[in-house]
Amino acid sequence: MSSSSNVNRTGLLETYSYDDQIVRMFVFATIIWGAVAMLLGITIAFQLATWKMNFGLQWMTFGRLRPLHTNAAIFAFCGNAMFAGIYYSHQRLLKARLFNDALSRIHFWGWQAIIVAAAITLPLGLTRGKEYAELEWPITIAIAVVWVVFAVNFFGTLVRRRERHIYVAIWFYIATIVTVAVLHIVNGLSLPVTWTKSYSVYSGVQDALVQWWYGHNAVAFFLTTPFLGLMYYFVPKAANRPVYSYRLSIIHFWSLVFIYIWAGPHHLLYTTLPEWAQTLGMVFSIALWAPSWGGMINGLMTLRGVWDKVRTDIILKFMALSLTFYGMSTFEGPLLSIKSVNAIGHFTDWIPGHVHAGTIGWNYLLIAGILYFLVTKLWKTEIYSKTIANIQFWMATIGLSLYYVSMVVAGITQSLMWRAIDANGKLVYPNFIETVVKIVPMYWVRAFGGTFVFVSFLLMGYNLYKTMQQGSVGIEEVYEAYALDDSSVEKNATQHRKLEGLPLVFGVLSLIAILVGSAIEIVPTMLSNHYISKIDAVKPYSPLELIGRDIYIREGCYLCHSQQVRPMVHEVLRYGKQSEAGEFIYDHPFQWGSKRTGPDLARVGGKYPNMWHYRHMLNPRDVTPQSIMPIYKWLVEQKIDYATLTRKLQVMKQLGVPYSDAQINNGVMSAQTQARTITEDLMKSGVPAEVEDKELVALISYLQRIGVDYGSLPKSN
Amino acid sequence: MSDNNNDNKTKLHLEEGEDKILLDHSYDGIQELDNPLPSWWKFTFYGGFAFAFFYFILFQIMGAPTLREEFKKEYAVIEELQEKFNKANGVFDEVKYLAILKDDGVKKGQVVFETNCIPCHKEKGIGDIGPNLTDEYWINSKGTPATNFPVVFNGVPEKGMPTWSASLSNEEIYQVVSYVQTLHNTHQPGGKAPQGNKVE
Repeated sequence: MSSSSNVNRTGLLETYSYDDQIVRMFVFATIIWGAVAMLLGITIAFQLATWKMNFGLQWMTFGRLRPLHTNAAIFAFCGNAMFAGIYYSHQRLLKARLFNDALSRIHFWGWQAIIVAAAITLPLGLTRGKEYAELEWPITIAIAVVWVVFAVNFFGTLVRRRERHIYVAIWFYIATIVTVAVLHIVNGLSLPVTWTKSYSVYSGVQDALVQWWYGHNAVAFFLTTPFLGLMYYFVPKAANRPVYSYRLSIIHFWSLVFIYIWAGPHHLLYTTLPEWAQTLGMVFSIALWAPSWGGMINGLMTLRGVWDKVRTDIILKFMALSLTFYGMSTFEGPLLSIKSVNAIGHFTDWIPGHVHAGTIGWNYLLIAGILYFLVTKLWKTEIYSKTIANIQFWMATIGLSLYYVSMVVAGITQSLMWRAIDANGKLVYPNFIETVVKIVPMYWVRAFGGTFVFVSFLLMGYNLYKTMQQGSVGIEEVYEAYALDDSSVEKNATQHRKLEGLPLVFGVLSLIAILVGSAIEIVPTMLSNHYISKIDAVKPYSPLELIGRDIYIREGCYLCHSQQVRPMVHEVLRYGKQSEAGEFIYDHPFQWGSKRTGPDLARVGGKYPNMWHYRHMLNPRDVTPQSIMPIYKWLVEQKIDYATLTRKLQVMKQLGVPYSDAQINNGVMSAQTQARTITEDLMKSGVPAEVEDKELVALISYLQRIGVDYGSLPKSN
Repeated sequence: MSDNNNDNKTKLHLEEGEDKILLDHSYDGIQELDNPLPSWWKFTFYGGFAFAFFYFILFQIMGAPTLREEFKKEYAVIEELQEKFNKANGVFDEVKYLAILKDDGVKKGQVVFETNCIPCHKEKGIGDIGPNLTDEYWINSKGTPATNFPVVFNGVPEKGMPTWSASLSNEEIYQVVSYVQTLHNTHQPGGKAPQGNKVE
């Protein structure tokens, strides 16, 4: 309706063009990194089905590749897709070229450089040990800088717009940019030890809360809000239909942005996080159901009247299925947040199942629709092969279904086995490994389902490549539109309509909306001494244990082993005394984990002899037949790094861990003494004396310390 | 030069009656309808908030039982069951032992040993992570069935010997004890150095 909005316009008639080359660049990056992310995904899926797929190489073990997979899928694949879609639609919705071509290129190459840095550092074991925030501090800073470049480019374009009001897609983009910046910076705060090592400034419960506030909202504001924005542009475009309800857009946007941020603690139900925070996380997750579905309704109802086209138009087909998966996942999310359901689902494969219904079902399928749309528009041609696109569609759907169903079955099966207690008050399956062996067939199904999805993606890559080849980029077209002046102001506009003409105010209000929940949940952990009751028996780690803990973090142990005994009968029977908040105050970062592929380790200290750990790390199957854990033989080859120890202790002291100056100065000597004691014990079983300065000894010292200080106290209740 | 919006306008698909609720907004040809909020959605929306409000009040302010309180109650029941079981089964019963011994106890015990004990005590009990069972030195017992039984049943958690009554049936414990008895003083080659006290 350009005609009506141009009626009686008095502003200067200006000419402009779009920077579509930057969109093409992001499209290329999306296709390449998408393939990489999925290849990594099936690699680690097969590693769970058979440990041999770890190949005995340290940079290829599950614990190091899993963070690379998640980072690649979220930030490389979905990130580049988001930037492609935003840069394409933002210019058109505002009738303005992107603010600055050079900034766009810095944004592009900066982001790709960060991805390459991640692909190098994560397999090397350089990690902050916090899920989806693993990248070490120099890269974390680089992400913040590139994000600011993106923000300047984005808001600069808004300033130069020739459309008075901003469309709902842009509301979601604004919320994304503002919130991701806040999340990334707050969760990223660390003190560096070296260029490649840092410690989170938060510890224990506090670190867990900040981490899952971040982790949950990475899903919310990196995988949901920007893609809802893209949905609001590309679905009505592809369907040539008006958006179903403007009113629904307004109410679901503001409620979604306000509520989502509170839901993080549902990742910490039954943990030692104070219960009021857990309850807030649960109830806001329930309240989030309707706002989430607002987006699905607006998307699917926009397709009303063109359902016949959904059957034939491959782009609409992808979008319709994507919205359906979005609806399913955003129903399952609140369901899993209910405490009693969470008790069953948490720590099991149900959660990766849930996550992949979102990232594959919602993100990948929507991105597929958007990529076909963008490539045909930007190369001015038709899709090369609708047949290939259809095969891709069905392979992705079948693959995801295999993935999802196998993971839900595995998760619930294992959870029920964990919980089973007989009439004598004993666990029916006391050996954890029994519950693993039971679900290994499901790991195979998942891996093959993932392979289907990966192949479907390769088919799309080929199809898009051939589409580009048959089309041509052409020259930049020039358009004209009136500059904004008083004549573009609507008479009798509603309050919200007025707000849509004030993007910066809109940004500030979004910021306030997300800060309310954040502040109410997080600030008490920073201020109150009552938040965590101190336990006198809990002391800082010894210098050698600290080194061992860093090895534990480096190898990504937390990705398969939790450190949190929940207050549940079966957990206390299986693992020992339930965890308490005061146990974790020196844990920078916390290592509670989110998945139990292996058993919980919160009380593993002292449970086995040193020699057990020695055998176990060199070949887990020596002590646990049928174990699926990788071998860690390099731990008896690599020397303990004593050079950075003093600095590590100093940084820990700065973070509030009460090491005395003497303890810091004598750190190396004390660590070597402890290493000798452990080695002497191992030597009794015939281990050669050379292990004394090897990493495995440090790791054993840490494992033997976990949960001991509080766990060995006499039972009080 | 062209107005980039024109191509879309002509193709916009409208259902019957939608022209009346079509808003005047247009962004790159995208328009919006002014449909009311679906009533079932509004119900879910307000229902979610109402649930959130009352649930929070009930559990955090009115003092409904916390997760930890509920756990304590459940755990007390389980502890009672276990105590009963341990009282009934945790003491060595000579009669039962002899009966099991008669019923192929050693042979069955070897199977139990090979599935559960080998990771630490190795085949034939020569010892590795755990002590050598083929010499005359014992750490926690006197090497007799009556003194070995509680070591298996209760474990020696501080030394890394698990509480086997948690995962083995009582029969299996008697069986494995009878098998271990046959290893005693066999001095298998390659055994671990002696630990504990010599028992004559």
